[in-house]
Amino acid sequence: MLEVKNIEKYYGSRNNVTKALDRVSFQVEDGDFLVIMGASGSGKTTLLNCISTIDTVSAGDILLDGVNIAELSVADLARFRREKLGFVFQDFNLLDTLTIEENIGLALSLNHQDPDTVKRKVEEMAGKLGILDILGKFPYQVSGGQKQRAAVARAMVAGQTLLLADEPTGALDSKASKNLLEILSQMNRKLGGTILMVTHDAYSASYAGRILFLKDGRIFNELVRGERTRAVFYHEILDVLALLGGDVSDVI
Amino acid sequence: MCWPCWEVMSVTLSKLSLRNARRQAGDYLIYFVTIVMVAALLYAFNGLVFSQEIQELSSGMAQLPMMIVMVSIVVVCVIGWLVSYTTKFMFTRRSREFGTYVLIGLTGRQVARLFFLENIAVGAVALGGGVLLGGFLYQILRAIIFALFGTPYHFTICFSPGAVVLTCVYFTGIYLLAQAKSNRRIRKMKIYDLIYFDRRNEGEVIRTSTLRKRVFVLSIVLGVAGTVLIMLRDLTLGLIGAGCIIVFLYGFFLSFASGVPAFFDRKPSRKYRGRNLLVFRTLTAKLGTMGIAMATISMLFTATLIAEGTGMVFSSLFWGRAIQNSCFDLFLGISSTRQDAQAYLDYIGEHIPVEADLQYQVYRGDDNRVSEYLIEKEALLPYYDEDLVLRYSDYAALRRMLGYPEAALEPGSCLVHCMPYLEKAVKKYDRPVVVDGVELTLAGVYVENLCQYGWDGNGGNFILVVPDELAEAQSVSHRIYAAMTTQPVTKEQFAALRAIRNGPDRMDYDTLKARSEEEEEAASMTAMTVFPLYFLALVLAMTAATILTIQQLAEMGRYRKQFLLLQKLGMDRGEMAGTLRTQFAIYAAQPVLPPVLISVSFILNLGSLVEPGIMMGANRPGTLAAVALGIFFLIYGIYVMMAYRMLRRNVLPL
Repeated sequence: MLEVKNIEKYYGSRNNVTKALDRVSFQVEDGDFLVIMGASGSGKTTLLNCISTIDTVSAGDILLDGVNIAELSVADLARFRREKLGFVFQDFNLLDTLTIEENIGLALSLNHQDPDTVKRKVEEMAGKLGILDILGKFPYQVSGGQKQRAAVARAMVAGQTLLLADEPTGALDSKASKNLLEILSQMNRKLGGTILMVTHDAYSASYAGRILFLKDGRIFNELVRGERTRAVFYHEILDVLALLGGDVSDVI
Repeated sequence: MCWPCWEVMSVTLSKLSLRNARRQAGDYLIYFVTIVMVAALLYAFNGLVFSQEIQELSSGMAQLPMMIVMVSIVVVCVIGWLVSYTTKFMFTRRSREFGTYVLIGLTGRQVARLFFLENIAVGAVALGGGVLLGGFLYQILRAIIFALFGTPYHFTICFSPGAVVLTCVYFTGIYLLAQAKSNRRIRKMKIYDLIYFDRRNEGEVIRTSTLRKRVFVLSIVLGVAGTVLIMLRDLTLGLIGAGCIIVFLYGFFLSFASGVPAFFDRKPSRKYRGRNLLVFRTLTAKLGTMGIAMATISMLFTATLIAEGTGMVFSSLFWGRAIQNSCFDLFLGISSTRQDAQAYLDYIGEHIPVEADLQYQVYRGDDNRVSEYLIEKEALLPYYDEDLVLRYSDYAALRRMLGYPEAALEPGSCLVHCMPYLEKAVKKYDRPVVVDGVELTLAGVYVENLCQYGWDGNGGNFILVVPDELAEAQSVSHRIYAAMTTQPVTKEQFAALRAIRNGPDRMDYDTLKARSEEEEEAASMTAMTVFPLYFLALVLAMTAATILTIQQLAEMGRYRKQFLLLQKLGMDRGEMAGTLRTQFAIYAAQPVLPPVLISVSFILNLGSLVEPGIMMGANRPGTLAAVALGIFFLIYGIYVMMAYRMLRRNVLPL
């Protein structure tokens, strides 16, 4: 589904160049739940931004369903974002002038859906995420966990094939984090959604099927959960992080 | 137009636009009030452009529409810039929101259109409110103009479709100007820049302290040089001076704002004294990145004060001249060479009902010793080669005609009647006055209005009143006919007198003055020049004050967090309020100081260009400068107080 080939990303001016990504390559298959881990400054958000077309690569290619996203026109890129990509940010990025229902439905209406279908799909998705009762409220009237579930609903409601999540549990308490991760996991298992999540939290990462560890812009290690329980996988993640030399706070 | 799914999305997007527009109106209340006021002013002045009754007040008012349209075009450009600046400001503060729109599939063009719709909605509401308010403002302008012409004012409901259309055209211009820039900005911006705009560091324009010092010193030099050049009363040098002042303002604010942190870094003892650290770090964090904005604001304030002061000087000039020329209802200064002076008197006798009149002659004195003395002491403009002389009997008759108290003349003495500005100097005159070889002592000085301004009046700013026999022995300078009429002299009557003056036998240029004509001319000139200048000054002041307050209020969230932290650190509320007050006072005072210095010099200089004796009493240049500053600070003060109250209410923890 997603193929990342030798991508590189540089920041800065002529005299002060920072290499954020250094020849990163990997593939994501349909239905994967892939997590990218690493310490602060390792390049994980940059990688996600490049895949999500928020940022551009300095070198290399990113192919989604065989299409090189760097070669898309402005209009095709907008359609591509509407139809294929869903985004979830650490700070939710909900529009505070719209109700939760309208926030979720906005992406659908952009996809030429008629108002009845928009309403039906919004309610359907809200039901799956357990936020039906807050649809009429504005973002400032609901909790962080509910906001993030609304953000997930918005990201998936138009049938997007790839969900990109940047530290989605970063602003949530442990209970809301667990709730959200369960939901993402269900989305992945039951609805077959492909998820690419960036996190530095080992607990969040333990919900994934596969983990890529980034260090200084390069892929340092890869873990595949396989048939192991989540608890075992979690300990393996901690071991790799210890090897990676990340901050203690990143691990705990 | 690329808006493929508008029909489907319209419900959500229009709702989104409206909600955002409503929210903008709340966040940018001061900006909104300014736009409403500008719409009101444009409508009110456009009302004058289309008003038949106003233009019929005087033939001199024919140029009024053109003057107002010219100033309105400048206002459109200034307000276009204000709207553009504010939309850019709003855009940067909402860039993450716009980034989200792009992220969920809107194109840059669609986001630009959404933003455009929001701004148009705000503009349309402001325009509607402005037109309503403008109706009242128009009545105020109408009442003032009627008062200027001495015409009774009656309230009548006026609605001018032409004024509404022209105001809409101006507003369209304003928003097209602003939106063209905004659209280009949004379309060019990349999604990464939109989403992560708030993470960008703002940069100082001048980075190195050496360069900062040089720019600071150079700007001060240019500021002083510019002010001096403007005061030299030369057009070319004045223009160069204006250029120097513009460079000074930008250089000063770019170097000063970024130089303050450097100053405190060098003097840590001052940094940690009292509340200095808090006040200046917060302030310089703001000023360091808005040097260009500060300079522009300062430049607008300078232009405001100059426009306001120029309007005041012009107004004083027109009315000062009118007052000097209009103590008689009709006054003819007839050249001694004119052969057919009787033609005037025949016409007056036949057509103008006269209550009292006097024909008399003004004589040339023996020498010009009094003139020379006054040239030396009071910069008198020398109109004649000799001091002029009037017979006492004529003078006494003139005083009776004008209702002035009697002025006695003792034998061997003379009187001086002069314009008020010469009074002090004349009273100090201690040499003898010689007429027809006879030495006379100065027995009294009188300063009532006696038509002494300009040529062919009762002397050039002063006249010697001597015993009749002495005056009659002198040669005649010119003849005068002065009258008080039962009705004001009409336009037709004055035109007929003028036709006699300009007739085929014209040998010299006679002076014709009628009180009604003088007052009408002063009223027309005031309406045509002073009104547009005040209009411009008001708009410039509001624009600059709005930008300044928006910049400050935009920091409310950051300030609130800062004061919450200070509260946690143990700072009491009174101390926090003091800190906020000091910060705000310095912030508000900074862009005002250079304009005050520059404009006061300018107004004093402009006032000194007017011929002596016109700008007297409350119309002295110094008084005008003080009044101009007073009005400016009143308007600015309203904005500052509004902004400070909003800031204090929203920032200080309870």
